[in-house]
Amino acid sequence: MIEGGRRFGCEPYLSEERYHEELLRGRISREDLREVLMADLQDDTDKLVASFGTRYTLRLSMLQTELQPMPESGLSWVLAESELLKRFRDEVPTPYREKTITQTRGWVMRHLESITTDTASSNPASPLPAPLQDRLKAAGESQIHRWSDQQWEAFTLHALWETCQLGVETAEVQPPKAESNDSLHRLMLSELGMDLNTKIDDVLIRFCGCFLDQGFADWTLPERENGFAKAFAGLYLGRWSIRADWMKHVDASLHEVQSSDWDAIQSIEQSLERLGISDNDCESFLSECLLSLRGWAGMIWQMETNSPFLANPIPEGSLNEYLAVRLILLAHAIEHFGKAKFNIGTASAILRLALKSADVRSTPSTRSRTHTIFQLAQLGGWTPEQMLNMSAAQWRCLITEIESFTSLDRRRLLHAAYERHYANQALDAISIHSRRRRELPANSRRRPAYAAIFCIDDREESFRRHLEEVAPDCRTASAAGFFAVAMYYQGADHASFRPLCPAIVKPQHYVREEPLFSSMAAGERRAVRRRRLGWFAHQVHQNSRTLIGGWVTGLFGAIATVPMVARILAPRLTSQIRESMGNLVRPPATELHLERLAEAPGSDAESMGYSLDEMSQIVVRILQDIGMVDAFPPIIVFFGHGSGSLNNPHESAYNCGACSGGRGGPNARAFAVMANDPRVRRRVAEQGIKLPDEVRFVGAYHNTCNDDVDYYDLDLLPRSLRELFRRIESDVIETRARNAHERARRFESAPLDLTPHEALEHVEERAEDLSQARPEYNHATNALVTVGRRDWSRGLFMDRRAFVTEYDPAVDDENGHILTRILQAAIPVCGGISLEYYFSTVDVEGYGCGSKLPHNVASMVGVMTGAASDLRPGLSQQMVEIHEPMRILFVIETTPEMLQRIVSENEGIRRMVEGNWVQLAILDPSTSTVQRYINGHFEPHVVADREIPTVQSSMHWYRGQRDHLGFATVQEPEIKTPVSSSESDANTSEVLV
Amino acid sequence: MNTLDIFFHVLGTAVVASPVLLLAVMGLTLLFNRPLSETATVRLTQTSVLLSLIPAIAILITMLATGIRNVPIEFGNWVTIPEQAFHFHLKFTFDRLSIPFLMLSCVLCGVVGEFTRRYLHREQGFARFFLFYAIFYCGMVLSSLAGTIETLFVGWEMVGLSSALLIAYFHERENPVRNGQRVWTIYRLSDAALLIAAITMHHMVGEGDFGGLMNSGIWPEGTAAVTSSQALLVGTLLLIGAAGKSALFPFSGWLPRAMEGPTPSSAIFYGALSVHLGAYLLLRLSPLLEASLALQMMVLSLGSISAIGGALMSRVQTDVKTSLAYASLTQVGIIVVEIGLGLRYLALIHIMGHATLRTMQLLRAPTLLRDYNDLENKIGSRLQQQSWSGVGWLPKPIQRWCYRFGFDRGFMDIALDRWIAGQFVGCFLACNRMEERITRFLSREPEPNVDSDESGFDDSTPQDISTAA
Repeated sequence: MIEGGRRFGCEPYLSEERYHEELLRGRISREDLREVLMADLQDDTDKLVASFGTRYTLRLSMLQTELQPMPESGLSWVLAESELLKRFRDEVPTPYREKTITQTRGWVMRHLESITTDTASSNPASPLPAPLQDRLKAAGESQIHRWSDQQWEAFTLHALWETCQLGVETAEVQPPKAESNDSLHRLMLSELGMDLNTKIDDVLIRFCGCFLDQGFADWTLPERENGFAKAFAGLYLGRWSIRADWMKHVDASLHEVQSSDWDAIQSIEQSLERLGISDNDCESFLSECLLSLRGWAGMIWQMETNSPFLANPIPEGSLNEYLAVRLILLAHAIEHFGKAKFNIGTASAILRLALKSADVRSTPSTRSRTHTIFQLAQLGGWTPEQMLNMSAAQWRCLITEIESFTSLDRRRLLHAAYERHYANQALDAISIHSRRRRELPANSRRRPAYAAIFCIDDREESFRRHLEEVAPDCRTASAAGFFAVAMYYQGADHASFRPLCPAIVKPQHYVREEPLFSSMAAGERRAVRRRRLGWFAHQVHQNSRTLIGGWVTGLFGAIATVPMVARILAPRLTSQIRESMGNLVRPPATELHLERLAEAPGSDAESMGYSLDEMSQIVVRILQDIGMVDAFPPIIVFFGHGSGSLNNPHESAYNCGACSGGRGGPNARAFAVMANDPRVRRRVAEQGIKLPDEVRFVGAYHNTCNDDVDYYDLDLLPRSLRELFRRIESDVIETRARNAHERARRFESAPLDLTPHEALEHVEERAEDLSQARPEYNHATNALVTVGRRDWSRGLFMDRRAFVTEYDPAVDDENGHILTRILQAAIPVCGGISLEYYFSTVDVEGYGCGSKLPHNVASMVGVMTGAASDLRPGLSQQMVEIHEPMRILFVIETTPEMLQRIVSENEGIRRMVEGNWVQLAILDPSTSTVQRYINGHFEPHVVADREIPTVQSSMHWYRGQRDHLGFATVQEPEIKTPVSSSESDANTSEVLV
Repeated sequence: MNTLDIFFHVLGTAVVASPVLLLAVMGLTLLFNRPLSETATVRLTQTSVLLSLIPAIAILITMLATGIRNVPIEFGNWVTIPEQAFHFHLKFTFDRLSIPFLMLSCVLCGVVGEFTRRYLHREQGFARFFLFYAIFYCGMVLSSLAGTIETLFVGWEMVGLSSALLIAYFHERENPVRNGQRVWTIYRLSDAALLIAAITMHHMVGEGDFGGLMNSGIWPEGTAAVTSSQALLVGTLLLIGAAGKSALFPFSGWLPRAMEGPTPSSAIFYGALSVHLGAYLLLRLSPLLEASLALQMMVLSLGSISAIGGALMSRVQTDVKTSLAYASLTQVGIIVVEIGLGLRYLALIHIMGHATLRTMQLLRAPTLLRDYNDLENKIGSRLQQQSWSGVGWLPKPIQRWCYRFGFDRGFMDIALDRWIAGQFVGCFLACNRMEERITRFLSREPEPNVDSDESGFDDSTPQDISTAA
């Protein structure tokens, strides 16, 4: 992590300042700091440092305070103008302060007495240093008996400062050697006084944009097909053009590029030679060059290696050519600008000279060191007298000790404490809650009224919890949101196939949504209508940017005012109107082309879909994963999820992660169709799972942005189940509102006193709002994954921070076959999401994509910030602003041996776990004991917190709060009588209508 | 003064006063470090926009009902220097040109204000944005209603200032600030031209009143009251001013650079209002154009070069905001041509239609990927990219050149840097050397090693200019 930070020039942790804020907010406790520090120091804890106690105490006090680093120039101002030398820092405990003052006072008085009564020689103890005596005089020595407390305080601080300074001067510690392998970029910046990268980037950004364009510009780059370098040369060699000064002499090199035997690698070697880069530095130099426009370079690499479905693919080797061109430009830039300064025309000579004249970096000055020690002395209650008595060796020891505990180390420990705090809370809560669940009367084993299956996504955590609160007699479970249906899918109104499965799986099957056989003709008519409308919209869009077309659209442009104003002033209403208009072109009732007739799967009409055997495998797998192999309720609803919002170039990041950024609705639908097929059921029964005839599966789609839910293929539901379905529907409507309500507490623009139904309207409006930069918070705040039966986590308020994965050890075999399968998906996916959020949060400009507001979609492949910049990776500041960056914690219901084996046998899991990218813990629900996995072995977790609060409903717990909430047990409500529930349904449906 | 006059006066004052008040409130609260809450800021802004818009509509209706076609609102002379024939005359005119433009400004400002409320929610610079917005809005109202060139200049400057500040809105990054400065530089150049034009006008006709330049006064039928050569002189200066503001040739380079700010500000300023202000000035002075054929030719050629250049550049750009910026330029070029041809109503309609359309497109720009996806889905296949046949009939090398021209944004930035900025810098450097030599001579210091000294200076100063490039 730290290495990555150095290489990419990004921050590995939050800033110390942020951690201290968290410390004040109670998201880190002092206890955590102590524990973490103990663990980190291990044997060195008690090592004595100078005369002020152990390394442990010193480091602890360094952790607890913000040691504001102060540049030399700033210090002068602070010393002169601020209260630094007048008052103790606020966080210094009063006893320490008083002790220091009293002792100093006594010390000074002793001295004064001895001076007045005796000669100085008779006082072998520490004589007051000269600066202090001056200070005494200045402060009014004669009236020392009448000094007020403030005066003494100020004097003590002055004394402290002076002694610290004296000590630092006597110690004469050599500053640590500055790193010598400075980057070329920084060298040029300091020596030539200019940023060469901006010049080169300016040219390359524009060119990369044209080269990679996926159909935005309607004039493609000439010679694009000849590759990056040739197209570049062709473009820049054109006659009758004006080039920037520094590119004047680039002709010769470009002519070389155009020759037919030009090779990118050779050219790179030549450039390296020209720049005089030695073989040793070659690698770091090249990676520096590639990383200076890492977004574009990375995109070139992605497109040449990893993107089969591009509209405009690019040839292989483009990245090499890019690097070659970049180096050519760099050499020319150095020669051009270096000439002015060094009067030498060759790049290598300029570099040599520049290296020579680069001066030594500045070192921490005496005064800023003094400042650090001064602050520590206040906090540690060190008195000037004590410090004055220290020998030079002791001072040296102290200073090296302090400087060896760098800011990076401090942040590492602070971060560990931060993670520890949450992990302890979570494990405590799970342990306590599962014990409570165990002690409940065992009525939960009854056959549930219906079952609802969700994705493991953390955004569904609250939805499930609310559904369970609304309908205590239902059962919820979860599986990765593609429901084992890995497919390329094309909707009836979609232009092309897209994969709906985790990004690591390469689907074999193609599935298409088609109009019902009987409504083919209607479907075709609407498709034609749609095509015309699309054609028209495309023409308007494209031609409004041209000369003549723009003129026509410009004249009639005033008409655009009406929808524009409407959309911005009343987004929700406008979208409802659009929705009803859209019925004219929407495909009629559809079905999935799911059953395959041909042997092998493929994309043409006959080989689309799954064979019956494949279907039954999928059904068995999912039923096992969710631990539902008997006692089936009559209706089982599968909820896929996705997210639809406007103004969002990152839209796919909001969709289902298990569907590689697609919408999981079709997967749920496909699964339900498979599981309902009697032929499939027969095959499933052969594998030991009997699905009774009256059990039906329903697919549904949950939009996590506006909390809308759609159901599929309801016509196929038997009449006998309609009543139950109506009940499910109304439960879900109530749940949607409550879920929206819980989400709304996080949105600052939603008042805290919204009712659930107002909240639902609020989130619906958000989704349709062009100007909304935060349609939803997505996975922000994720921190926890539970893998196990819902039984022990049901009713635990986890604040939408947990991925809840279903796993029943009872269904599993002794090899942990099912658990392996689940973890193979869950650990990379959840861990990946958590790390994505982690990095984007700790350095939103480096790893994330900064503020969303000036984003600018470029070449249809990414976003730039403003008019021209690198392509931005990662998540935007608006997405992560409420996130608490920490590695995700897995709590798995299993045995230590099983987990050890799974970790060691699966490469993907092992790398995540042993690289410490995720944290693991295991739970034994029968005893509610938790063990943590630390560096390859398990350590029991001691529950510190005896109780977590119990509340009536989720709403009672979160109501009126915006910040992160702790865990709580939500009481299992009494199972409502059917009468009252139907009444409340009636109410809710009225409100919604 | 009869009732109608008083009625007009009150309403007219309201139109002008409300943005000024808004600006005062926003500015003062920030100045005294009492920032308003987000809600209060937005409420104030909305009220202010409504308070301008509604009286403007009332005036329009009354004017239509009574058949009055020109309502001047006088605020008298603020500064008078009789011997130099200069006075600062504050006067606003409501006529067929200014009312539509005013209403356009109000509607777009109002919509963008509402948009920004949610878009910039929780942003640190929320208050700052709305302060700049208030400056801009105030400037727009003043300059669209201006009855004298000095009033226009006030509004014009406010628009320019707020634009530059908004481009540099994200001032913690380097690029926005640099681009903001660049835009500011170009604005200064064109403002200088406008200022000279104002003074020249005062010398010619003794007042800065637009009505004075034209005989009968009422837009659009006025005829110029000056001779052809006078018209050419003033007109050329004004044309330079308008070209800078509207990013016409050869100043087009700043337009894409202005896309650094948050999306709504790009939308309203560079897509919609600011960029049309130059055209509006030309429209206001259109009778002057007719007085001189040479001037008319200049306007026509400037407009068509900009339009064609803009069209080429727009087709080559691959990012949505730059592409839209050049698309705007194309249309502004056409509008200028229309003005040159004397099609004044057409130009006015074109301005309004184009401004609203472009605002909408820019506000939608972040949704581009989704929009394209929707389009593909509707059409039922990948959007096939018909490679553009517009230049297909030209010989290959010329096609190439056209692409290169579009790619390098018409070489305008480089050319301006080299031949305009470069000259200035060279001149200043020469002055600097001269001054050093003189000081040295006066203080009798020995001639130092000129080489090192100069190079040290050399590489820092041209860099400022060239990094701005």
